[in-house]
Amino acid sequence: MNDKHLSSQFDSDLNDVCSRLMEMGGLVEAQLQRSVSALEKYSLDIIEEVIRVEEKVDALEVEIDHELTAVIARRQPAARDLRLLLAISKITTNLERTGDEAHKIAKRVRSIMKRDGARNIPISDLRVASDLAVNLIQRALDAFVRLDVAAAIDVFKEDDLIDREFKGFTRKLITYMMEDPRTISSSLDLLSIAKAVERVGDHAKNIAEFIIYIVKGTDVRHSSLAHIESVVE
Amino acid sequence: MSFFLILRLSALLLWLGAGALIFCSVGESAFCVWFGASLGIVCWFLIDYRAIVATLRWLYRLQEDPQLAPPPLRGFWLELIVSFQRPLRQQIRRAKEAENNLKNLQAALQASPNGVIVLDEKNCIEWFNQTASRHLGLKPIRDIAQPIPHLLRSPEFSDYLNNRDFDKPLELQSPASTPARPLKLSIQVCAYASDRRLMLTEDITLQQQTEIMRRDFVANASHEIRTPLTVLIGFIETLQTLPQDESQQKYYLAMMERQAKRMQSLVSDLLTLSRLENSPPPDFQTWNSVRVLLDHCETDARVLSQTLTQNMDALPHKISFPADIPANAALAGSEKELFSLFTNLVFNAVRYTPPGGNIEISWTSPPKGGALFSVKDSGQGIPAEHIPRLTERFYRVDRSRSHETGGTGLGLSIVKHILIRHNATLSIESAPGHGACFTVQFPARHYRATSPDVDSAL
Repeated sequence: MNDKHLSSQFDSDLNDVCSRLMEMGGLVEAQLQRSVSALEKYSLDIIEEVIRVEEKVDALEVEIDHELTAVIARRQPAARDLRLLLAISKITTNLERTGDEAHKIAKRVRSIMKRDGARNIPISDLRVASDLAVNLIQRALDAFVRLDVAAAIDVFKEDDLIDREFKGFTRKLITYMMEDPRTISSSLDLLSIAKAVERVGDHAKNIAEFIIYIVKGTDVRHSSLAHIESVVE
Repeated sequence: MSFFLILRLSALLLWLGAGALIFCSVGESAFCVWFGASLGIVCWFLIDYRAIVATLRWLYRLQEDPQLAPPPLRGFWLELIVSFQRPLRQQIRRAKEAENNLKNLQAALQASPNGVIVLDEKNCIEWFNQTASRHLGLKPIRDIAQPIPHLLRSPEFSDYLNNRDFDKPLELQSPASTPARPLKLSIQVCAYASDRRLMLTEDITLQQQTEIMRRDFVANASHEIRTPLTVLIGFIETLQTLPQDESQQKYYLAMMERQAKRMQSLVSDLLTLSRLENSPPPDFQTWNSVRVLLDHCETDARVLSQTLTQNMDALPHKISFPADIPANAALAGSEKELFSLFTNLVFNAVRYTPPGGNIEISWTSPPKGGALFSVKDSGQGIPAEHIPRLTERFYRVDRSRSHETGGTGLGLSIVKHILIRHNATLSIESAPGHGACFTVQFPARHYRATSPDVDSAL
């Protein structure tokens, strides 16, 4: 984003939109981190905080979309600038959904706390995956800021790790539920938390795809890792 | 300037005249004279052109090598060269100096233990040092000109930056922090030169851990003191409210005495620790016989073993002390502290070894010099994760069994302080189920196995 345009106003418009997006990214990251620590510490205060921030993220999404429309209408961008603006619009959607997942995790943790269950189910396995997901979103946004294709591909590769963790955790939950039917309701809550974590990984992957789209100009959605790597080469 | 005008004009006229004169002698026609004069001018121009080229070339090269000798020219050209040379050389020197200063300044900032980031008016990164890149996960060169809020996206940080209230530093979890290696930063932004900013980052992970340790210590100490007090108050209330016969009274009083003594030993251990921390280093001119120290230690250890096992109606421990200590072996330092060091380690072994177990104390002097004191027991052993924290105050491996043996939880902290004061080191080898071996290594300069010549001369 450092290439200069003839119109410096255009540059500053693009920069403003990017800053807004990063502000939103920061909020979502913090939201996600909080909901993961809520899961760890079973703290109601943290959950309230996550739910409170949700509104702010939603408002930012609308604001960014509005700004994007204004920039496109005024500047009629082409090539990379257009790709950048389109990608920002998509990334905003992904970030908003990530925020929703964080919100979901927080709410599920609250319902587990109300039931005072899940104490006998090891949530430490879930922690590995959720820490990975937080880290992945952070790295995807870092890669976007730097337009770093190599880092984007790393995000891609690591999402598989989360998927594997998710499958393993599901199997484990099934054994717990079979052993003791009283754990079923808590297990179901944990299952949706695990699912949310897995979705966060997918959103990080989507963001990584848009980075490749901005830099290389190729749409790599729904394509295999080998294909993406060949595009980047 | 008019001097040069005259000089150059006369040179021109001279060439012109010379050309005309020479061709005059060839043929006396007007054409010859004109031809000669123009040839003279051309020659003059060519010579001048050579001077121009030489001067220009010299000027170009001067940028690279300020010491370059000027071309051998005279008159007007020499004057021109001299007038250029001086200011040009000065300018080059100043530029070099400024560059050097900048380099030194950057090197100084690079060497700073804190992270330093220079931001411009739009909060874009202009420069940062290696520490900053480690603290914040910045990529050298690549992240220059990147707005800092894009890379440090935490809402707390953007609030801090936007509020422009930089009085207090901001404490923040670093983006480079991982669950395995947490990194907590203190970030301070300073505004300067109208609207530019300097950002300093400091690693406060350790400070925070120390703070947690201190909090744990206070909580543990209050707990350790409160427990015997609660028991004591309970007994006092019983004695006050319920009628007792004499034997019951005696029983209660004995229990009270035990609790009071426990508190006493706790307080005296705490006092010992604070004395060890605050007193000057021990006098290394005093030499203490190892034999005497260990003899006293042996007596006390056997008494302790007997009292502990008598209560349980069990066999006392098999304690073996070394018999082959050289008669003149001596350690430099404080006798009281060294004695406390030995007894603490031996008493711990007695306390944590089941009745009838083996405790083996050895004293060796390795060929490298110094001395090794080790206490090996056949107790239940210590899991590896507890070993690094054993010398923390009130640290207990197994909280449930800490009180039955009468320790205060401060013994190994006292040992650690005495070791530090005597420049000695402690190593602990243990595995669950295989007993533990505590080894103290004394440095060569504080240990002697033979009496010095002065003593033998006396």
